[in-house]
Amino acid sequence: MGPLAVNDIISPNTNFFLAFVIGIGFGFVLEQSGFSSSRKLAGLFYGYDMVVLKVFFTGGVTAMLGLLFFSLFGWVDLNLVYVNPTFLTSAIVGGLIMGAGFIMGGFCPGTSFCGAAIGKLDAMIFILGLFIGVYFFAFGYPMFETLYKSAPMSSPKISTMLNLSDGVFAFILVVVALGMFYLAEWVEKKFPREEY
Amino acid sequence: MEKMNQPKKSRYLNPYIGGVLLGLVLLAANFISGRGLGASGAIKSVVVATTQTVAPKYAARTKYFQEYHEEHSGPPLKNWLVFQMLGVIVGGFASGAFAGRLKFKVEHSPEITSRRRLVFALLGGIFFGVGSQLGRGCTSGSALSGIAVISFGGIITMMAIFGGAYALAWFFRKNWI
Amino acid sequence: MKPLHYLTLILMILALIIALVPQNTTRPYKLTALQMLTEIRAGTQFVSPDEVADKIVKKDPSIQMIDVRNPREFDMFSLPGAINIPLQDILSETNFDLLNQGTKMNIFYSNGSTEANEAWLLTRQLGYQNNYVLQGGLNYWMETILNPMPPGNVISNDEIARYDFRKAASMAMGGGNISAIAPSAAAPAGTPKPGVVPVQKKKKASGGC
Repeated sequence: MGPLAVNDIISPNTNFFLAFVIGIGFGFVLEQSGFSSSRKLAGLFYGYDMVVLKVFFTGGVTAMLGLLFFSLFGWVDLNLVYVNPTFLTSAIVGGLIMGAGFIMGGFCPGTSFCGAAIGKLDAMIFILGLFIGVYFFAFGYPMFETLYKSAPMSSPKISTMLNLSDGVFAFILVVVALGMFYLAEWVEKKFPREEY
Repeated sequence: MEKMNQPKKSRYLNPYIGGVLLGLVLLAANFISGRGLGASGAIKSVVVATTQTVAPKYAARTKYFQEYHEEHSGPPLKNWLVFQMLGVIVGGFASGAFAGRLKFKVEHSPEITSRRRLVFALLGGIFFGVGSQLGRGCTSGSALSGIAVISFGGIITMMAIFGGAYALAWFFRKNWI
Repeated sequence: MKPLHYLTLILMILALIIALVPQNTTRPYKLTALQMLTEIRAGTQFVSPDEVADKIVKKDPSIQMIDVRNPREFDMFSLPGAINIPLQDILSETNFDLLNQGTKMNIFYSNGSTEANEAWLLTRQLGYQNNYVLQGGLNYWMETILNPMPPGNVISNDEIARYDFRKAASMAMGGGNISAIAPSAAAPAGTPKPGVVPVQKKKKASGGC
């Protein structure tokens, strides 16, 4: 009955080991899908490569459906699974800053490690930037603190906020995601480039 | 007939298949450890660990580090995300090795110089570092994992990231196209 | 396009199923039957009225009295500081955070021990901790605390102390208001202490950043 670590079915050390294994899977899949290339990643914003959209939403939707089915079969207790907390203003401002970082750097933290792993120097410099940014935030925390803690909303799920069941929301999200995929295919045809 | 499905053979996995695999990895993380994937948290752990070793007194009286310890017990590096990221490096390397993509290079658009690319990579990293702390996660931790558990905060962060990037895309177009 | 078409098909089917099938909201039992039997036989969930009275009079914030009878009976008489969670609502989602926590001792009580013990059985089987049962319920409470019997002819110091304590506690509670009359003696030694100090609740998985 999952989550295994929370229900003490596996020990914390096993949990960390499995985290490592999961990370291997994560890194492998990301790199295989081309996420080690900053030019492919940035393509989302210019229309020439929609791989981020396709992989991202397929991944999210697959995991979401997977969790819901696991819950249905009694294999996982969804109440024990971590749901990201919401701090509304902090999330929005942080997201916008990250967006700027994305379009400038062409990476996000996870993909930058993939890129660095295969030797991309720009990915390594990006990681250096990440450290600088986090140190800056840590040492300059008093500046950011009020913003960081503003508008807390505990951990709402969108389905609860819209008063829908998780299943119905999942269905809607699947439809939206599929729509985006077909749109993405069309966009890529409009802005063709050679593959990076 | 000129309408072919794939104009040329890609050296990467089909994105939809890749997406399903990614979803399975994420599902495994949630099933095994009750949490989603992430990345920026590992950077935070390293920052905390290094500061504590180099300047322990400063760390003990600075709010950021105190709050970190309120939320996390144990040594900062013995952290789920740190182990996961180590795995990511191995996995990425393995994948690159199989596909013959291992090579030291600066990837950049032919329109700009390597140096320019590196400058922007650094700037991008700095912005992302600050933003990921405010956003309590990055695209993997907040957005991707957020979709899987239908988190409102996760989706909001995701929309802000993509929105922000789209809004600024035009200004940085020279770097990419 | 082919993989996209397959994906569409599979995702739509799965999404339809998950949207139409009602959610699985049952909470599973966490203890095996054998574990439950061991706990039932040990009887560690019971707390004596003396113990409870002492804590109430001292305004100990670490306990929470929970009346599991129906609201009508609760309104007619209830113990100081008690909240009402009728037995039929014990599984309701709204009460989850009250019943499954790690900061206070919840003490169930009813007229006898039966309903309170039923509440304990259920919550214990679901894996909740820090829930206890007032031994003997309100009936026994009335006998011992509110109207304590004076000890007979041959008495021990223990019995005298216990009687004094109960008289004082009764004064503190009989009038309905908890005045500052402290019992002259502390709760007599020898009253069995309930088992464990509240245990830290198992943390939910942490994640994100």
